[in-house]
Amino acid sequence: MRARDDEIKRVLAELDVHIGEVEAGVAALKQLMAGDEVPGGEGSDPTPH
Amino acid sequence: MGARKRPADSARVAALADLTGETLRLWRESMGWDVPRMARELRKVARDSGEDVAAHHGLVKMIPQWERGNRAPRERYRLLYQQVFADALGDLSKGMALGTDAALRLAEVRSRAARLPGADEIKALEDAALAQPRDTMTPAEIRALAADAIAHLQEVSDELAVLSALLGSDDAGEDNP
Repeated sequence: MRARDDEIKRVLAELDVHIGEVEAGVAALKQLMAGDEVPGGEGSDPTPH
Repeated sequence: MGARKRPADSARVAALADLTGETLRLWRESMGWDVPRMARELRKVARDSGEDVAAHHGLVKMIPQWERGNRAPRERYRLLYQQVFADALGDLSKGMALGTDAALRLAEVRSRAARLPGADEIKALEDAALAQPRDTMTPAEIRALAADAIAHLQEVSDELAVLSALLGSDDAGEDNP
């Protein structure tokens, strides 16, 4: 029973992470769609020009 | 006439006694219910158990006060809340065996998961984003961003299935004497 409860808590924690990743990805895509640039893209250069 | 208490009720009340108004609000919102619907659900459960409760308009006034923490629901209403959510969410009541915190997290996670777009919608967002030239993100990066979101979406689906199986095996987990 305890192992099952621990497993439920582990799955909830995993879900929290994955849902957060989807939410972040979707927010970034929506930002791009809206014409905003998404900071921190791998191709972006954070240093000032 | 008051509700007849089952033996487990006192333990449930103890578990619910420390519920904050914020918890009540999150529970309600996780079901997608507005305040009048919450009032109807509380009255329905009360009616089924033959209990007298406040009139609908009275509950509509009291629920926001409970949720804001201006006043605490009495034991009778805390039990009704428990009954409403046990009936409505089924396995959430099993989650409550883990503790109020885990039950709340379960409701919150399900609510967030239900609001996620599907893979098709993410692909549509990707296509729309690719249609506009970007300085900071290359098309490959945009594709990778969408693919990553879809991969995590699949993980969400898989983990929800695992969670349902775990919650559904409430008794099966104790089959080792």
